[in-house]
Amino acid sequence: MSPARIRLLVWKEFKQLRRDPLLLRIIFAMPVVQLIMFGYVVAADVNHLPTAVVDLDHSAVSRQVEDAFTASGYFTIDAHPMTESGVRPLMDSATIAVAVVVPEGTQAALDRGETAPIGVIVDGADGQTSGVALSYATQIVQQVNARRLAGTGVDTTTASGLDARIRVEYNPSIRALNSMLPGLIGIICMISITVVMSQAVVKERESGTLEQMFVTPITHTEYLVGKVIPYTLVALAQASLVAVVGVTWFRVPFNGDVVAVLAVVVGLLLFMLTALGLGLLISVVSRTRHQAQQTVMFLLLPAMLLSGYIFPLESMPKVLLPVAYAIPLTHVLAVMRGAFVHGAGFSALAVPLLALAGFAVLIFGAALVTVRRRLRGPDVPVPPQPASSARRGSRRRRTGRRPAPRLRVVHRGRRNQLRGPPRRGLRVPRPQRLGQDHDDQDPHRFLGTQRRAGPGARHRRRA
Amino acid sequence: MTGGLTRVGAITRKEFRHLVRDPRSLAVVLLLPVIELVLFAYAISFDVDNLPTVVVDQDHSAASQAYVRTYSASSFFDVQGSATGLAQVDDLFRENRVRAAVVVPAGFGRAVAAGEKAQVAVLVDGADVQAARIGQAYAIALNARYGAQLTAAWADRQGIATTGGIGLLEPRSRTWYNPERRSSLFLIPGLVVVIIMIVTVQQTATSLVRERDLHTYEQMQVSPLRPAELLVGKMLPWTLLAFLDLSIIVALGLGVFGVPLRGSVLLLGVASAVFILACLALGLIVSAVSPSMETANVLALMIAFLPSFLLSGLAFPLGSIPVWLRWLSYAFPGRYMVSISHGVFLRGAGFAELWQPLVQLAGYALLVGTVATVLSRRRTS
Repeated sequence: MSPARIRLLVWKEFKQLRRDPLLLRIIFAMPVVQLIMFGYVVAADVNHLPTAVVDLDHSAVSRQVEDAFTASGYFTIDAHPMTESGVRPLMDSATIAVAVVVPEGTQAALDRGETAPIGVIVDGADGQTSGVALSYATQIVQQVNARRLAGTGVDTTTASGLDARIRVEYNPSIRALNSMLPGLIGIICMISITVVMSQAVVKERESGTLEQMFVTPITHTEYLVGKVIPYTLVALAQASLVAVVGVTWFRVPFNGDVVAVLAVVVGLLLFMLTALGLGLLISVVSRTRHQAQQTVMFLLLPAMLLSGYIFPLESMPKVLLPVAYAIPLTHVLAVMRGAFVHGAGFSALAVPLLALAGFAVLIFGAALVTVRRRLRGPDVPVPPQPASSARRGSRRRRTGRRPAPRLRVVHRGRRNQLRGPPRRGLRVPRPQRLGQDHDDQDPHRFLGTQRRAGPGARHRRRA
Repeated sequence: MTGGLTRVGAITRKEFRHLVRDPRSLAVVLLLPVIELVLFAYAISFDVDNLPTVVVDQDHSAASQAYVRTYSASSFFDVQGSATGLAQVDDLFRENRVRAAVVVPAGFGRAVAAGEKAQVAVLVDGADVQAARIGQAYAIALNARYGAQLTAAWADRQGIATTGGIGLLEPRSRTWYNPERRSSLFLIPGLVVVIIMIVTVQQTATSLVRERDLHTYEQMQVSPLRPAELLVGKMLPWTLLAFLDLSIIVALGLGVFGVPLRGSVLLLGVASAVFILACLALGLIVSAVSPSMETANVLALMIAFLPSFLLSGLAFPLGSIPVWLRWLSYAFPGRYMVSISHGVFLRGAGFAELWQPLVQLAGYALLVGTVATVLSRRRTS
């Protein structure tokens, strides 16, 4: 392996990136856009829910209930239908999401010391709102109860009761961004590495530069390393950008110590290896870039949904938990969240870290093996390089250098081409295979129109 | 005109041949909806329950055990065991083993018996926000209720007349349109939107850019094809596929997952057609501004996937996001379609309730279509 050649490859890859300024801009805008979107949308607290209050009791307690709902900030009271049937059209047109119904005789029932029902209707068609709205409504009604008790002449300061402290640990204000951001770093690493990496090899193959590459003195390992390094660097830059923007702009705290930082770094590196391996595998297995991109989409979507990033793992059916744990993203999320939010170190994160290490070995290893098998091209050794490097198979070492195949120039169309005897194991797509498409690419044949003379035909027809 | 039709037909045939030759892409386009559907129907939900909970009971009295029993009785907390102290709770939180901890300090039973305020603490893990939010609300409600019971019992024992109004309000909840609160019921109608956006925007964008990348675009330009014919022919297959995807999702949703279809089917059809047109126009815009496949790919991903998922109201209510983001959400067709789709499927709405988003969607499609035509004409000329 020659560092000079790798550097050259890396340089070429970066040059290629620079030639598409829009892509470069997107690569760095995407993480920030994602951060903002996830940060503000998924992280948004459900509040100011449009609410209707149907007050059939017109009593002190019904006013107390209404005030408590308004004061909580979770609900905004927009409508006061006179009857319960007035709720239906409001909810049908999605004008309100919650309705509170205080039945007639509530005050009387309470005065008798009975338990009085109070109706809370939520719109089950409106996403996650219904569940959250219900739990907030329950909380508010119980608070009304406690307050009423305090106001009934029973001196509750000396009365029996509970002094409950409900505390949310590690994230006292339940700020969603605090747990979203660490997850997002993992997600962005995955998306950007897999998406770009999956195109890397297949692109060169599609445009035929892969063959060119392999008639140069570059060996496969060098080629691979040269491909992997730039995209890893880009992904690292993206991850750092997200981390920096998140910590400085959005003020996401990092609760861990130096050990936790180390755990994050180790976890991310292992995960990046996995993502690189996955991208490479897809790239080598796919015939066209389009196909590679499809495959990535196919894998990324379920991974994102099942990893617990947005939808909590606790809400998943137990049967699907093994599937969730078979996704590397799940474990990197555990590491990132553990370190950022819990401030956990290596010992607490041992399980996900070990899982990540396993994935890295498995997937990256599989990618290496497949790449070598698929790309076994003309590994022509260069004279100054010793042939007996450890990478090469023992068979080849026994027989010494494989002689370079004899090349001859053939005339094909207007171009001169170098042709040689077919090499063993060469699986690079050959011109003949690409030629299958020729029929389609000839519009005349395909369209059933008459072949006109030369490219100027269209103008002549128009004239 | 007939010549135009044959030419469009030819391009369409060519596009379909490309598709057939690439079975993997076809499989993705047709299988992705099904897989997503299964995931959304079975795997994903926001309904957090059975939050793994640990109890630290330092009192070991009858009163403390009765208090702890209210947690095991509620379906929200799943009491998995007990811990000896706060240090152990911390470890359990860090290892992701539990999400909540109930701490009953020593002296709880004595305080209850003496008629004093008994101290308890509930710790909720803030790492998972959804769970933390609901967990906190439930813990507050549960404690308020238990505290009120304690007070009432104490007042009884003291002989204080409780007829003065210690009756308790009890919330009775009903969830309309979706009584069991199954997430799949609102996720599947919204999923239609995400899938169509991914299929149409991304596929049209990349298939047009690919044509340019492989230089077959120029070949077609020198053929008798007019640019409009080329575009129509290129987009027709994807339109058909989008409709096919739509039908698959709707059929599976109605037949297998029990999603109701309560409203006007005609409205749904009209809205989907307009929506697909808008998405195709977006794809055209992406293809016109992207210089390469990668760019088209990433750009389409950014335009199609993220906003349709996050800024459409599919899973995250648009009412609670910041105003500027709400304005931004009008720039993507997903939000109009999601409200129409939710309305038709779940709320039984028709033209009378949904004319507003429909008109907005139509206006949006017109606008984006114009921009797309202008951009792609500039690009081709």
